[in-house]
Amino acid sequence: MKNDYLTIALCKGSLLKPTLAMLAAAGLPSDGVTEDSRNLVFTFAEQGIKYLMCRPTDVPTYVEQGAADLGIVGKDVIVEQQKDVFELVDLGYGACRFVVAVPEALKNLRLMDLNYRRVATKFPRVAEAFFRSQGMQVEVIKLHGNIELAPIIGIADLIVDLVSTGKTLRENKLVELTTIMASTARLISNPVSFRTKFDRIEPLVQVLQKIAKGGKDRADETN
Amino acid sequence: MRNKEIPKGLRDFLPEEMKTRRKMEEKALKLFRSYGYEEVSTPTFEYLEVIEAGTGRNSWEELYLFIDREGRILSLRPEMTVAIARVAATHLREAVFPQRLCYIANVFRHVQPQKAQYREFWQMGIELLGASGAWADAEVINIAVETLHSMGLDNFKISLNQIGIFNSLLAGSGLEEEEKRLVRRLVENKDLVELGRVLNNARIADDLKEIIARLPVLHGGIEILDRLGPVEKNRQAAQAVAELGKVYDALKAYGVNDHIVIDMGVLRGLDYYTGIVFEGYSSELGYGLLGGGRYDNLLQQYGFPCPATGFAIGMDRLALVLKGPDEEAVRFLVGGTDWESVVEKARELREQGYIVETDVEQCTREELAAKAAKKGNCRVLFIE
Repeated sequence: MKNDYLTIALCKGSLLKPTLAMLAAAGLPSDGVTEDSRNLVFTFAEQGIKYLMCRPTDVPTYVEQGAADLGIVGKDVIVEQQKDVFELVDLGYGACRFVVAVPEALKNLRLMDLNYRRVATKFPRVAEAFFRSQGMQVEVIKLHGNIELAPIIGIADLIVDLVSTGKTLRENKLVELTTIMASTARLISNPVSFRTKFDRIEPLVQVLQKIAKGGKDRADETN
Repeated sequence: MRNKEIPKGLRDFLPEEMKTRRKMEEKALKLFRSYGYEEVSTPTFEYLEVIEAGTGRNSWEELYLFIDREGRILSLRPEMTVAIARVAATHLREAVFPQRLCYIANVFRHVQPQKAQYREFWQMGIELLGASGAWADAEVINIAVETLHSMGLDNFKISLNQIGIFNSLLAGSGLEEEEKRLVRRLVENKDLVELGRVLNNARIADDLKEIIARLPVLHGGIEILDRLGPVEKNRQAAQAVAELGKVYDALKAYGVNDHIVIDMGVLRGLDYYTGIVFEGYSSELGYGLLGGGRYDNLLQQYGFPCPATGFAIGMDRLALVLKGPDEEAVRFLVGGTDWESVVEKARELREQGYIVETDVEQCTREELAAKAAKKGNCRVLFIE
């Protein structure tokens, strides 16, 4: 954590484009920042800004450890990791949901009927916490990808997964039983940076809050 | 080879590290003593009831618990303030108050080990017992600042708050107990997104919502207290604000206010704090260095009502931000063919204050020179 720079960890992948647009709107540099480069650190000496290009799941770790002062990452990653970071702004984009989904044949079941079943997921903490909060117990099977396959090949009865449009679920003949929580991109901060670099972070929080709120208002209008 | 393992989150300290750590201890103890604080030591483990009476049930998951042969539950100490409160309430009731105590001790918490977070770690701290009021708080906070200075650290901030502000606002809010706990956690973790949502749905006055939403980001000089908004409606909150101002003013006498930041988001996790609370941060480490505050109700738990305030510094975190060890002292390696004169010469040099190793292997001059070259700042004396 270099004192004179504000270091921001950014997610590679689908969040990057809207993130860069948001940063540009907030007056931060973004020229030439891309994931299609070997470069993983982008330094803007004049503005005192550094970006770290990371895998989404690494962003909370970078921020918790103080390698980055701030990070922009989905709420889905934050809840699964439970790192000690401050969550400052809901940036509004990158919307997706954690859902419980079952094969079409089971779509008339109630949630309670799934007690003691096997749940395949990439998000064991979220899944475990959700079923516990419902007073249920399930066997959580952690997989690293292709969760939709688990019920088809019979290693799980249901899944907990992240969906944005629901297309993948439909293609695999799965139906949503219930939504666990909604997720959007968030600005997170290292707790110490928030205090030692408050003079730089606080104005940025204000600006981003304003931009995010504007975006939401516009979206509400079009709806 | 399992017999080489040590439990997760624990560490060995090798000579170089121990040198740094002992120096830190010496500097801290010297400073504490110069303010009249006397060192005490308490058992490494205590009955669970003792710990729980102090810290509540919140940190139960972090305790190392075990059962003794009489069937009582024991806990490795997770911190020192509770033990000192117990000692003061049992053995030191007749002392002249205020009573100033200090300690350096290892404490144990079952946390996820990572950088700057270990399952056994060391705390250096002070407790000022039997004094209420701003001057007592200011003395303790100033010693925290001076301790960091004495270690050669300059680039740090102390975040200061009075939890009575938050607690009284919340108490008068009409929120359910569970909602209060939730709001408290959200303010403490600066989860602004969730806090906004919870407050939005809460059935409390709008101006109060606004103040609570602003608390986590109220951070700056003493002037931010003016931006707090209409707290006067809540008499206790207004009193707490006034007290915070008094402590800030009292700190001016020490000339340390450059390091002090008012931070309404600092609530400290422990239940026993009742007034002023503070935390120390260095921009070189992503984790807090020290924490403390006023705990006027804790000693009462052990049958001895008595106001108190104090702080603890995490020695292991401090070690991470300190520069390398000071200049090595000169050491001698004394050898020779005549054992008696070797021993005599070594004694003479030690009396002059040097560190002296005697050659016990009957090495030649050249062999000793080779060994000395591998050590730092080591001179050979070979007696023919």
